[in-house]
Amino acid sequence: MKHVLEGSHAVSEAVRLAKVQVMSAYPITPQTHIVEALSEYCSDGTMNARFLCVESEHSAMAAVIGASSAGVRTFTATSSQGLALMHELLHWTSAARLPIVMAEVNRALAPGWNIWMDQTDSLAQRDTGWIQLYCEDGQEVFDTTLQAYRLAETVNLPVMVVLDAFFLSHTFEPVDIPDQKLVDRFLPPFSPRIALDTSDPFAMGQMAPPNVYMEMRYDIQKAMEQVPDIFAKVEEEFMEIFGRTYGMMEKIFCDDAKIILIITGTAASTCRKVISDLRSQGEKVGMIKLKMFRPFPTDLIRKHLIQAQKIAVIDRNFSFGASGIFAQEIRAALYNNHVHPPVFGYITGLGGRDVTPEILTEIYWNTKNSIVPENESMWVGLTDG
Amino acid sequence: MTTDSKYAEKISLFISRSNISTEINKTGTWRYVRPKYHEKTAPCSAACPAGEDIARIEMLLYQGRYQDAVETILLENPFPSICGRVCFHPCEAVCNRAGFDDSVAIHALERFIGDIAIRDELTLKLKKFPENGKSVCIVGAGPSGLAAGYFLSLLGYTCDIYEARSEPGGILRWGIPRYRLPDDVVASEIERIKKTGVKIICNTPVTQDFLENAKKRYHAIFIGCGHGRSLKMNIPGENMAVDGLEFLNLLCKGNVVSSNGTAAVIGGGNTAIDVARSLVRLGTTTTLVYRRRKQDMPAFKAEVEMAEKEGVRIVELYSPLKISEDNGEYILSLQKMKTSGMVTDRDRARVVPDGQSTQHLRFHKIIVAIGAEPSAPWQFPSRKNDETLYLSHCTFTVSDPPVLFGGDLTNTVKSVTDAVASGKQAAMSLDVFLKEGRHIIKDRLNSCLVGNGPALSMECYLEKKRWVRNPHIVSYSDINLDYFSQTLRVESESLAINKRMNSFDEIEKTFTIIQAMEETRRCFNCGICNACDNCRIFCPEIAVILKGAKRQINLDYCKGCGICVFECPRSAMDLEEEL
Repeated sequence: MKHVLEGSHAVSEAVRLAKVQVMSAYPITPQTHIVEALSEYCSDGTMNARFLCVESEHSAMAAVIGASSAGVRTFTATSSQGLALMHELLHWTSAARLPIVMAEVNRALAPGWNIWMDQTDSLAQRDTGWIQLYCEDGQEVFDTTLQAYRLAETVNLPVMVVLDAFFLSHTFEPVDIPDQKLVDRFLPPFSPRIALDTSDPFAMGQMAPPNVYMEMRYDIQKAMEQVPDIFAKVEEEFMEIFGRTYGMMEKIFCDDAKIILIITGTAASTCRKVISDLRSQGEKVGMIKLKMFRPFPTDLIRKHLIQAQKIAVIDRNFSFGASGIFAQEIRAALYNNHVHPPVFGYITGLGGRDVTPEILTEIYWNTKNSIVPENESMWVGLTDG
Repeated sequence: MTTDSKYAEKISLFISRSNISTEINKTGTWRYVRPKYHEKTAPCSAACPAGEDIARIEMLLYQGRYQDAVETILLENPFPSICGRVCFHPCEAVCNRAGFDDSVAIHALERFIGDIAIRDELTLKLKKFPENGKSVCIVGAGPSGLAAGYFLSLLGYTCDIYEARSEPGGILRWGIPRYRLPDDVVASEIERIKKTGVKIICNTPVTQDFLENAKKRYHAIFIGCGHGRSLKMNIPGENMAVDGLEFLNLLCKGNVVSSNGTAAVIGGGNTAIDVARSLVRLGTTTTLVYRRRKQDMPAFKAEVEMAEKEGVRIVELYSPLKISEDNGEYILSLQKMKTSGMVTDRDRARVVPDGQSTQHLRFHKIIVAIGAEPSAPWQFPSRKNDETLYLSHCTFTVSDPPVLFGGDLTNTVKSVTDAVASGKQAAMSLDVFLKEGRHIIKDRLNSCLVGNGPALSMECYLEKKRWVRNPHIVSYSDINLDYFSQTLRVESESLAINKRMNSFDEIEKTFTIIQAMEETRRCFNCGICNACDNCRIFCPEIAVILKGAKRQINLDYCKGCGICVFECPRSAMDLEEEL
């Protein structure tokens, strides 16, 4: 049944239906609404779960690490500074192979205090071993949260479900919330492959000397490499039950496109409109909405981009001293390919600034009218001063 | 599910995991400070003249261990039911809980335990010391004499208490009115003392001759006869006034039935208040006349407040000049007084006549209760002997045999609980004297102080559990308040004011078991381990081990992080540096 829901609460509803057993979180705008609803579900008995109140995000992650090690389904959520504070434990989670699911609301980092949309916080965690899935709207973030549990619990890796601050977290949209029975069909109870047991005690995560450490890391990568296939299977089953599918990336008008725009998150919706307008003007333009960032879908990128003459990547993030992070990754994916069209990197919409149809249109024309990129990164919409 | 597990099987899960114990890693080697279970002193127990182990008593009560709670009290005070009713409870004034919400109703809980002990005939199961063949003559079966007899008999002495009146109890029986202390409570607690072997010989007034004779027959004498003679005002017409102690005495005998009309009570001590409140109950319109200010009255503050609530009018800063008779009534002439700076004498204001201002009040009856003094010279300790020990609650004169003075004869604060303290101190010092000699008395008593004293603990004297307790008095800042939530103090039910007017029924009711449980759980149990288990739950190294009911630190693994000490809500643990 469809409900008009805030993006944050779409996540909360998915967590409720996933029958998560232990949650822990520390409030931070714009994430707070997610765990606020969940803490109420825990206290009023809607959920049969424990909500652990902690004094920081570092402790929140530590708490769910403990719970997950004991073999229960867990959830946490954070944003920006909170995610940065968790950093140490993000590495721990993946290396301990714990299937924790976290909602991460993209928000800019301080100083210059800013609570608005910016992707640098989650992208800065790209090397921590977490699967990262970026969402466009309320329905997608609900569906992705449910899928995240299936994925995480199959590959024993943590999943970050990423959503835009305010543009998604605080926007009300109609979201289809299925019955518990249907969700149960899709997502059975968690049966951990390994879990602490007081009646058969053992230790986890202790010393790994040089003779084994490297193999452990290789193992994480092997699991990551399985993710695209398993995600496809998970989506297939999801489609069967719920009739919706997203893909690791979605391509629109790409088959004959000369220029392809690559975009993520809620700005993808704006982009859909822009390219449809440009198409009606006879422009051979296509777009790719990138959903999965880790593992990076290199094969798909190669497959879908090689016929394009130019690629424009829209980054709402920046790696200082280098370039936009999505652009970097796409360049890297294409470099060892036999053909690699030029990649135009555009930086826009940092710290919550709107990414308007005009900006996207300008990006398209700039790409079309340039033979090669003028710079590694082109900052769009900067004002003087 | 099946698809997932099929895929999951292909995913290798190579993580560090070990079924070998991590016990090989003796984290105790990192430690430079070590936690230690070290119980401390609760402020209430240090403030209690009888040194009762209140924090522990409340814990035992909350745990439903009535027998243990009763025994813990009875080791320090033979009168829980009486003191729970009449003690001015200095314990509650220093209760750490007062800083948080409200002090614990310790007196009401003591009374509850005392009444349970009477109801269920619970007694001290302490293995009595074998009779040592030594006998003590005790003069006066008031609270100090009874306490001395009780404690001495526990220590193996044969005690004979000589009492002038027909029944034992002294002030308990013949002074304190029934609305504060019913007869049966007094009788029951005295009966329990008798069962320890103390012999009470009534109708035997002690005279100097009797005493001289007794000195030949006994190994020691304890004199706790109290103040038998009322102080005089030395004003004209004084003989027309009734003596306050005598009035209470008659009342307790049942010889005063009603007293209509008006009465003046002169004085500001507890006896004056008892007289005034009794008069109200007999139907008298009562005025209390005091020469200083109300706040200077030596009577316990709560008693003064109750008296006013019950309708006693207080006329302060008036000093009696004379009493004269007029038509079967009395005219009390009063001199107006004014304060003249503060003096050190218990912070009471000094007063001087305020010019020539006088007042003349008319009453049907005038009762005087301005204090009392010993009634015979032999009741004063001899001052000639250099060997005399002046202790906090008794005076020890070294002669053959030794003579000890206690109770009101020596106590600064004249209360029942101080009288108990007196009897206990006398018993302990006499025991030391007879076993080890005079020179060691002070040292031995000092080792039994509760906190910094002056209260003494019999439990410490007998070198039982409390012996090892740290004298440090737990302060409010020593309590980890995170573990407590604010709750209302439970008040006992009391008789409505209008129902007190013509009845000597007891005002306060004993707590019900539900009230007692609710109130006793409010106690912080300052400084004592109540087995809350926080230390064990929070220890990150699982180095706190439970052996039976005892907690121990496994020093092989304790890193000395101090979390257990920090999380102890009641300061029952310490962290000490290792060398």
